Amino acid sequence: MEENNNVAAPVDGDAAADIIDSSEVLSFSIGETIYGIEVIYVKDIITIEQITVVPKIPDHIKGVINIRGRVVPVISVRKRFGIEEIPYDDRTCIIVLEFDDGNQVGIIVDRVQEVISVDASDISNTPDSKNVNANRYIKSLINLESGIRLLIDCYKLINDDGSGV
Amino acid sequence: MAKFEEGMEAMADAYVFETTSLLEQLDQVLMKTENESSFGEEEINEIFRTMHTIKGSSAMMGLDNMSKLAHAIEDMFYIIREDNPVISSMNDLYDLVFTASDLLKAEIELIQEDEYTATDFNEQIDKIHAFAAVLKGGGAAPAAAPAAAAPAAAPAQAAPEAASGTVSAADFTSVKVRFEEDCKMENLRAILVINRISDSCSKLEYSPADIETNGDTAQTIVNEGFEVNFCPASGVSIDEILDTIKNTPNVKDYEVMQRGSGASAAAADVDATSVRIHFEDDCKMENLRAVMVVSNVRDVCDSVTFEPADIESNPETAKVIAEDGFIVHFRSEKPQLVFQAIESTPSVKSYEVIDANAPAAPDEGTEEGAAAAAAAAAQAAPKPAAPAQSAAPAAPAAQAAPKPAAKPAAAPAASKPAAGGGGGGGAKQSLISVNLNKLDTLLDLVGEIVITEAMVTSNPDLKGLRLDNFQKSARQLRKLNGDLQDAVMSIRMVPVSGAFNKMTRIVRDMKVKLGKDVDLIFEGEETEVDKSIIDQLNDPLMHMVRNSMDHGIEENVEDRIAAGKSPKGKITLSAYNSSGEVIIVVADDGQGINPEAVLAKAERNGILSKPASEYTDKEIVNMIMLPGFSTNEQVTEYSGRGVGMDVVKKNIEKIGGTVSIESKYGEGSKFIIKIPLSLSIVDSMEITVGPSIFSIPINSICESFKVSPEQLVKDTSGREMIMLRGECYPLIRLYELYELEPVTEDLFEGIVILVETDGKRACLFADELIGEQQVVLKPFSPLLSNYNVKQNGMSGCSILGDGSITIILDVSNIVRDY
Repeated sequence: MEENNNVAAPVDGDAAADIIDSSEVLSFSIGETIYGIEVIYVKDIITIEQITVVPKIPDHIKGVINIRGRVVPVISVRKRFGIEEIPYDDRTCIIVLEFDDGNQVGIIVDRVQEVISVDASDISNTPDSKNVNANRYIKSLINLESGIRLLIDCYKLINDDGSGV
Repeated sequence: MAKFEEGMEAMADAYVFETTSLLEQLDQVLMKTENESSFGEEEINEIFRTMHTIKGSSAMMGLDNMSKLAHAIEDMFYIIREDNPVISSMNDLYDLVFTASDLLKAEIELIQEDEYTATDFNEQIDKIHAFAAVLKGGGAAPAAAPAAAAPAAAPAQAAPEAASGTVSAADFTSVKVRFEEDCKMENLRAILVINRISDSCSKLEYSPADIETNGDTAQTIVNEGFEVNFCPASGVSIDEILDTIKNTPNVKDYEVMQRGSGASAAAADVDATSVRIHFEDDCKMENLRAVMVVSNVRDVCDSVTFEPADIESNPETAKVIAEDGFIVHFRSEKPQLVFQAIESTPSVKSYEVIDANAPAAPDEGTEEGAAAAAAAAAQAAPKPAAPAQSAAPAAPAAQAAPKPAAKPAAAPAASKPAAGGGGGGGAKQSLISVNLNKLDTLLDLVGEIVITEAMVTSNPDLKGLRLDNFQKSARQLRKLNGDLQDAVMSIRMVPVSGAFNKMTRIVRDMKVKLGKDVDLIFEGEETEVDKSIIDQLNDPLMHMVRNSMDHGIEENVEDRIAAGKSPKGKITLSAYNSSGEVIIVVADDGQGINPEAVLAKAERNGILSKPASEYTDKEIVNMIMLPGFSTNEQVTEYSGRGVGMDVVKKNIEKIGGTVSIESKYGEGSKFIIKIPLSLSIVDSMEITVGPSIFSIPINSICESFKVSPEQLVKDTSGREMIMLRGECYPLIRLYELYELEPVTEDLFEGIVILVETDGKRACLFADELIGEQQVVLKPFSPLLSNYNVKQNGMSGCSILGDGSITIILDVSNIVRDY
């Protein structure tokens, strides 16, 4: 692990882009934890705006917003992860994700940090756990010099309805 | 899409569309003739042409199996047309053609899939050939066609030969055709040439002969050229055929190696009738109108010559025609048909039959006539080059006028002869076909414009300003936008007749299979519905018609007579507009639905929610649309699996419609479908409930009012009702329903909206009315649709002028539970 970091760190962006199994990752934070999401899914990052409530849907879906004429549902990542929600401030962001089928979904995060290039060798699997609920939205771990980032599985974050396994 | 020949993918869409509509036309023609139980000449020609076109285009696409099947039918109708045989069994004939039509349709469906393997139609082709041989009456056993390797092609070529008798070798005109370099698939292009000229040749041979089956011949053609030997049919000049060859796509040039005496055959016609046609004054472009006449006349008889002869290439002939009229010589056993064809051509003012046996060459002394003759002479020379080139040097006197105009005029006219022989009739239509996706995009854009207009005109920055001129312009903009929207919507509107016509086919098939005699009657089939809705309508309609045929109409004619009905059953499909909705009714005069049987079945299935005695007949009848309900004890081929009506209901609800059933036991049943005119733009009333804005479609609102204390009634369980003009309606507090924080819970402060759907009324309580607006319905993201938003009474959302989002309420789902 240490070796990999030493090799990867100096050449950063270019080296990672050349390796097939790697991609760029957008990192954001919820509380103290830093998560990552693959850049290919990220369509846009906007500041928090007025969310229209849609009645009778699960709590973690906060409602819908208007993004350039499209009506896009937004999900609170805090609520989804079962973390206590905090009031929105001027650094609260909505990351707009776009999937292969063209559907867009916004996710509300505390802070958006940076785009990092990730080498394939930086990535390790999540530890096995008997507790099925642990890490269920986490795809893998990214080990960086600056610390560990949790790579989020977008599809699970959006689709798995979270009502229990 | 399946893989097509190289370079053909782009045409695949057009091919699928064209062939599908041709097959639908074919069904209609067949249905019509079957009802009248006789073939008119026109119908035979129509079927013949349809099959001819499908054959040609399928071959172009490399779909040999379809091409051959179409060819087989074409052959059969050729025999019917030419020999006029006694058809012993009309039913067999119809079955053959209908089956073939179904096979072709199924194949069209198949080729749209990714994994496509050609279906083998040989069995059906053999059947058709066998039938055709019977029609031929064993008379002229199909003589071995000259050098034709493809078995399906044999009868077609044999037939004209048999008709024309013996032809000596000297009569052959021999032509070597070369195709453009790199045009690929030369063998298929050669087939196209053969197809185009085969109708006007009495005898036709070509080399290489196995172009239809052997792909290697493409290379042979590139190396050695494609050799065609033909004898023109009587009345067709060699030049006309050469012209057709030249005008076939991708043909580079051709070389006449031996010129036959075909022209003499035309001159020998003694039965020729000549007609002088006058066009309407000032109709312009008389020569092109003349081309249309010729194309129409060709549809009804084989041998046509006309003068001036060069109408397609020489615009100057327009003047000649305007002055002297246009003369057509033709030979037909039924001149009446030809006269009809002439009369029906647009812009034809009058025509007169002139002396027969008029000379074919235009020898008037006018300058144009001379130019025409010169051009004709140039083409008749042993080695004609491209037409424009030959015409120009040969007629130096007329050079100034015709040369610059000749080329552009020739181009549009060039495709005409092909259309006349193949599809035909295209010139009369002012219709175009457009990809639906483009219309969807257009509609989306109009939707955006409607929103943006509201954004501009009710911009918060303008609040409190006095802007008279701005308001004036804004009003104008609003009006234009409204017109634009109406225009776009009207483009998308299609008559329901298309969906109705498909039912004739189903009724016909079931009539035969079930042995029930039924009349299918259409009413109001010109009623128009949005295209996206009509597509969803086919399945439900089919289910309902099948249902009526199978369960509705009585099994035994005696039962009908005993009930005092006509022995012939009747199914009526009707459509009409009613307050922003289209209502489609499928009614039959059969036995109706037995409420007792339905109730008993429902009881057995345990789907009753209250004591059986409390159900009204109407409620009982509508139970047959519940999932898994079928009163028919036996599953038949057509219905009775218990999914039919359930599916009908689901499909109709998917497009925002409703189904209800009315039935009188012993007298018949009626299925009533109500569907919205259009799906996307909704007139609605905006209301607020706490922080949220909701839109209620105007067509479900009866009225809105403030409630006074004496109108409020509570029943024993505390449910609130509103008394209005002696009627009592349940009250639904929207903030309670949707768990929202309202501005006011005081019923007398807020506003109450009386809504109606499916004959059910209820009062909705909201904070405030904002106003009326047109909103563009956007469906919920699939993420939200997973959570039953529809069942909770929300049909979609829309963006308002200020950018905020409103949720569109679906009143029927809200009211349903009350």
